[in-house]
Amino acid sequence: MTIVHFDWLSLKDFRNYRFVEIALAKEGITLFIGANGAGKTNLLEAVGVLATWQSFRGAPPEAMVREGASQAVLRGQVSREGRSVLVEAELNRLGRGRLQLNHQAVRKLQDLRSALAVTVFSPDDLELVKGGPQHRREYLDDLLASFGPKYGAARSQMERALKQRNALLRAAKGALRGAMAMTMDVWDAKLAEAGEAVAQARQELVEALVPRVAAAYGRLSRWAPGSSGEAIGLQYQRSWQGGLLDALQAARPEDLRRAVTTLGPQRDDMVITLGGLPARLQASQGEQRSLALALRLAGHGLVTDQGGSRPVLLLDDVFSELDANRCAALAESLPLGQALLTATEPPAVSLPLAARARVAAGVIER
Amino acid sequence: MYAASVQELIDELGRLPGIGPKSAQRIAFYILKSPAEDARRLAACITAAKTKVTWCARCFNVAEGEAGVECEICTDPRRDSSALCVVEEPRDVVAIEKTGEFRGRYHVLQGAISPIDGIGPDQLRVRELLARIDAEGVKEVILCTNPNIEGDATALYLASLLKHLPVKVTRIASGLPVGGDLEYADELTLGRALEGRRELA
Ligand SMILES: [Zn+2]
Repeated sequence: MTIVHFDWLSLKDFRNYRFVEIALAKEGITLFIGANGAGKTNLLEAVGVLATWQSFRGAPPEAMVREGASQAVLRGQVSREGRSVLVEAELNRLGRGRLQLNHQAVRKLQDLRSALAVTVFSPDDLELVKGGPQHRREYLDDLLASFGPKYGAARSQMERALKQRNALLRAAKGALRGAMAMTMDVWDAKLAEAGEAVAQARQELVEALVPRVAAAYGRLSRWAPGSSGEAIGLQYQRSWQGGLLDALQAARPEDLRRAVTTLGPQRDDMVITLGGLPARLQASQGEQRSLALALRLAGHGLVTDQGGSRPVLLLDDVFSELDANRCAALAESLPLGQALLTATEPPAVSLPLAARARVAAGVIER
Repeated sequence: MYAASVQELIDELGRLPGIGPKSAQRIAFYILKSPAEDARRLAACITAAKTKVTWCARCFNVAEGEAGVECEICTDPRRDSSALCVVEEPRDVVAIEKTGEFRGRYHVLQGAISPIDGIGPDQLRVRELLARIDAEGVKEVILCTNPNIEGDATALYLASLLKHLPVKVTRIASGLPVGGDLEYADELTLGRALEGRRELA
């Protein structure tokens, strides 16, 4: 198994960092310890930006530029199998940013994805289990996008068709007149075509995830008393029955009344059950945390197997939320490869650390 | 910041499609630095084009002359009037002409169906298209709208209108870059796509 890893990173005028440059251990866990607000998550966010060209906190580019600066510059050298590439990102307070691989502008994000992948674990992952369906759709969509450009194309077609159909529904003001009815048929057809492809891909992904999530959850909960042996269920739930085209046409009166498309992949969900009960409502907080971790570990495993190399793991403050048993179980089930871990204090369990650094007010010290 | 006339030039250039504030600035200073004669010629070209050019009364391609005039392709007797190629914009006519694969005539819709932009069939030259089928003895309509979702939707819409008329309806074969514009498809790909067009059910 190939390991993809950062040799070094530099951050200039990014969030609370003026300038910092660090060398990183190729394999194993590097632990960054610091108080809240010291800049630990910012460091992981910077790595995420280099790998995905977006913030895993959902921050716009200008929000990541240090106050008083007009531009943030992130650089990192990524190696796999002895070959290195230089990734550089420029974020501007005004105007578009720039992303380069080996000094060449990146034209397609797919080129970046094939050079470098990351898996992010963050305290917000609890939303995967506890939050609304959009979090679970995003989880599936992100994984599918990392497998190749085909899914992204189908999804953007679906979203475009959905936007057009919704615009037409709004313009209709409750009733279709004249040529409008026929154009609605056309948007139904385009949305159905792309939407079926999206739903099909998501469903197949969920099926591939089931055994992996169950295995990861089993490892995590083995240590937690009283929560062993609960069966995990994972099911992709479409918001319609039968063919999407027929369903859209049947829903048309309702859609016209509400001036929005009421069914389609944009309304689907992935239902997670624990012992047959919906985990979103019935599982305990500890079980929900374990499930969220299991979902991330399962996704990471799938990306590793499909892509033929291990993504870099970014673990943001995940141990502080877990009890000692789950901490120990997570530490044991962390896959090999490069992992960057943040914590406010040393974890309660002993971790096999490759390196350790202290973060305070935008300064990183070994 | 700049003298009023310079700022005005930058603002006007910035309103053109595909030109952002930075490009507008660059072009404005390029014009200011170039010889006065060059700038006069550019201004004269814009004025001349705007006064001389109108839409072809038949196909809505660009045409030169008074309102009501027909374009060079529509008035060329050697063109085959039984085949009609439907495109979104005049620039698509140019792209297809370059392939040398098509000897019929054109119909320019002047856009594609896009509810987001408030464009439906009534905003396009659809009625005019239907009127031409019988009047000109069209046997085949080739739908060459752009291979993106709006172009596809427009083709699908036209196909459902045309199926009631005694005419064969084809769509250019895929093989064009998905989500692309005809304008940017290279001539060979576009030529092959025209050859491999398929009938729409
Ligand atoms: Zn004409």
